[in-house]
Amino acid sequence: MMSEHHGHHIASAKQLWGIGIALLILTVLTVTVAGLGLPSPFDILTAMAIALTKAFLVAAFFMGLYWDTKFNSMLLIGALAFFILMVSITLLDTLYRDDIVPSF
Amino acid sequence: MASLSKAVNTVQMTPKKLKVKRFVPLENPTNTYLTDEKGIWAWLTTVDHKKIGLMYLGAVAFFFALAGFLAIALRTELWTPAKTFIEADTYNQLFTLHGAMMVFFVLVPSIPAALGNFILPMQLGAKDVAFPRLNLASFYIYAFGAIFTFLSLANNGFDTGWTFYTPYSSDTNSAGIIWVTLGVFILGFSSILTGTNFITTIHKLRAPGISWDRLPLNVWALYATSIIQVLATPVLAITILLLAMENILDIGIFDPALGGDPVLYQHFFWFYSHPAVYIMIVPGFGIISEVITTFSKKTIFGYWAIALSSLAIAFIGFLVWGHHMFTSGQSAVATTIFSFLTFLVGIPTGIKIFNWVATLYRGSILMKTPMIYVFIFIFLFSIGGFTGIMLGALSVDIHLHDTYYVVAHFHYVMMGGTLIALLAGLHYWWPKMTGKMYNEPLAKFAAVLIFVGFNVTFLPQFIMGAQGMPRRYYNYIDQFTPFHQTSTIGSYILAVGFLVILFYLAHSLIKGQKAGPNPWNSRGLEWQSTSPPDFHNFSHTPVVIHGPYDYHQPMEEFQLGLAVDHEYGDEQDEVAAEAHASLDTETTEA
Amino acid sequence: MANHSATHPKHVHHHFVDSNQQFESAKLGMWVFLVNEILFFGGLFCAYIVFRAWYPELFTQAALELNTFWGAVNTVVLIGSSLTVAMAIRSAQNNQKRGLEINLLITILLACVFLVIKYFEYEHKLHLGIAPGSFWNPTPEIAAVLDHPKANIFFGIYYMMTAVHGLHVIIGIALMIWLYLRARKGHFNSEYYTPVEITGLYWHLVDLIWIFLFPLLYLIE
Ligand code: HEM
Ligand SMILES: [Cu+2]
Repeated sequence: MMSEHHGHHIASAKQLWGIGIALLILTVLTVTVAGLGLPSPFDILTAMAIALTKAFLVAAFFMGLYWDTKFNSMLLIGALAFFILMVSITLLDTLYRDDIVPSF
Repeated sequence: MASLSKAVNTVQMTPKKLKVKRFVPLENPTNTYLTDEKGIWAWLTTVDHKKIGLMYLGAVAFFFALAGFLAIALRTELWTPAKTFIEADTYNQLFTLHGAMMVFFVLVPSIPAALGNFILPMQLGAKDVAFPRLNLASFYIYAFGAIFTFLSLANNGFDTGWTFYTPYSSDTNSAGIIWVTLGVFILGFSSILTGTNFITTIHKLRAPGISWDRLPLNVWALYATSIIQVLATPVLAITILLLAMENILDIGIFDPALGGDPVLYQHFFWFYSHPAVYIMIVPGFGIISEVITTFSKKTIFGYWAIALSSLAIAFIGFLVWGHHMFTSGQSAVATTIFSFLTFLVGIPTGIKIFNWVATLYRGSILMKTPMIYVFIFIFLFSIGGFTGIMLGALSVDIHLHDTYYVVAHFHYVMMGGTLIALLAGLHYWWPKMTGKMYNEPLAKFAAVLIFVGFNVTFLPQFIMGAQGMPRRYYNYIDQFTPFHQTSTIGSYILAVGFLVILFYLAHSLIKGQKAGPNPWNSRGLEWQSTSPPDFHNFSHTPVVIHGPYDYHQPMEEFQLGLAVDHEYGDEQDEVAAEAHASLDTETTEA
Repeated sequence: MANHSATHPKHVHHHFVDSNQQFESAKLGMWVFLVNEILFFGGLFCAYIVFRAWYPELFTQAALELNTFWGAVNTVVLIGSSLTVAMAIRSAQNNQKRGLEINLLITILLACVFLVIKYFEYEHKLHLGIAPGSFWNPTPEIAAVLDHPKANIFFGIYYMMTAVHGLHVIIGIALMIWLYLRARKGHFNSEYYTPVEITGLYWHLVDLIWIFLFPLLYLIE
């Protein structure tokens, strides 16, 4: 059972710095876009799109999911899926109530 | 006992072929995990999953006795419609403590952390769980959480019911509530660590030859349970933390007086607690699958159906939490959808029941104690499940919500299901864990007492619940007296049953007959080691060459395989031979 | 008991077959733990979303009290620390003891900077009476701007989210100091750097959470 390979991926310094700089740029971008004051659903949508892109970069490259076994990526995606499930089912109640806070 | 088989199998393994030979475990092992390190300190600091499992078992038994004692007090109080012997306030505190302890201290850790800890690595042919020290930590975190709960009792206690609904829980009695919520918060971590540990162990520590389609169903069940633990428990943790902050700081998120939403608390709580009822029952399903094949001497019917239905239950279990909130003021849209989704849970559960019954068909059934508990389980759990479906029907639940009908439902599933499965597993693996047999006639007698006592206790509760007897009430109207009194008598019968169990198990520890490695002639991997097992479970990493339920093959073909690694062939032969005098040293090429 | 010493390096625990199995197990275990963390924070995000859907105007108003500039600075600080942790792992993989130590030190430093900035933000708000729960007592000027009956709830959520996140930062610092001490003793090399790797994963998650907290709390205009 001795497994011969020690093939842990070693990211190059250039790659890591590249990701770091990309994250920096995206941060500046999201602040700038927020300053524009887009109309209501679009402001939050762009902010979340940028945040998701940043999250993707961190997860894929800093956390090494890109080179890792697929199962670890599945765990991350699964966690997000269950979070979305929790939020959306809860919203089915809170968005459709007659009174927001019942009877108080 | 001499070795039975001379055949050698070659197992196809990537990347290379392993030569395998068979051996039988020693009848009278001299070196076991119990003799390995002795003394109380060695126990308290052990990282051996078997000892940690037993420590959990002891703790769970202790809390079960305590919470059970409270139950007897509660039932006694309900003998008369008015006050019998305790005050109303005390009554409220006692049922809260009973429920909270039974759920968080007994049922949630019982099967995974106690029996599962012991058995899971053995069923995988592993030497331990993936993170032994975290395993020990989880035990101490559990103990620590328990201390907090007791501190709560010293600080006014708590009387909110085990569900801690806001705003009552955020407005009254702050000190006690803060302690117990912190206690439950801490307990959650113990549960999370166990789940994390099991998932990793199942993925990474399977012995050679245990492919996913050879995993014992008990392992599949524990896997599904761990997934629920990992996904749901953190939500309980944050909920309980928010509740504590509600008490400490008046943070306001759940408190209507401060502008918050108490129903949001219920969403958070049940997002954990409905899946948590599956944390309690799914490991029980695993035990039933193991016991039913062993005592039917037949391959399990519908292996994949049972394995995957555990995962399906784990998943669907996350979609139905709102069925606890039909009368809470939740929106009509949500109620309707939750009611519909609740019915779906019945499907995978039904699949399991049918497959178990089909496994019995034409088996050669051996009515030993564990098997008797399996039958009790199927009977009681089916009643519990069906009444659950009834409660899931929106209109019916409006009438039955918060009545004794619900109390009866969840006792049929939690006690009639989980606890009975725990008893089945305890009796089944007792010889493995202790190396001793218990008194079979007495055990059967106790099983009958428990079955009778249970039904006498909880059947009347369905009836009075349907007639409108609300739960958590100290007084009741005269019309319910006969039901309550029958129920109380039943609880005494139950108590006697458990005392009998306590007696013969203690007796077995001291004077029990030697069990031998495999008293039930099971094909499971855990039975192919000595009883009690070696410190490392198996004297050498086993190679598994059969499925766990291959009852169509004769026992002698079913001995454990040892890997004979070509690189170190001779050296390992010697080592293995030392450990097992009865090792078959003859090998031939396949 | 079979003696594996010939094939078992010292850092490999007895119940693992080899170093790689141990490494992969540790990493999987950490990922499973991160799933926990995501759902733990998930509860808070859920409360946030529910209340924001109910009272969008409250969130727009209240966010004005949060300083976007310092929030952005802290975002950059955390991103920087994520980069240095990644570099630390790289150093360990390449047997660069010195590089590992330096990168860990910079990470600790950046984490502390984050906390200091957070401290001043808290300080400022408490000063204005924008305090959690029963300490809620905004000054008249603030109350005039923050004219919403549920303003306390927004800040309840804000304080819970940032405090729980801050707690994770503190735990991260403790872990990093422990790594640094071990690194100095030369415990890590290309064969064995599991603790660096999994602490790194944890630290990246702390960063990930902040990546979402920042726009959700600070960037509502
Ligand atoms: C077929 C599967 C099941 C269905 C459809 C089901 C359905 C329900 C429903 C609708 C309720 C809410 C009743 C009410 O409060 O008005 C309920 C309560 C409850 N169920 Fe089940 N159930 C099922 C299985 C289980 C299992 C397996 C367990 C535990 C092992 C369980 C434990 C509980 C508990 C503890 C409560 C009461 C919680 C409380 O309010 O204190 N159920 N069930
Ligand atoms: Cu439920």
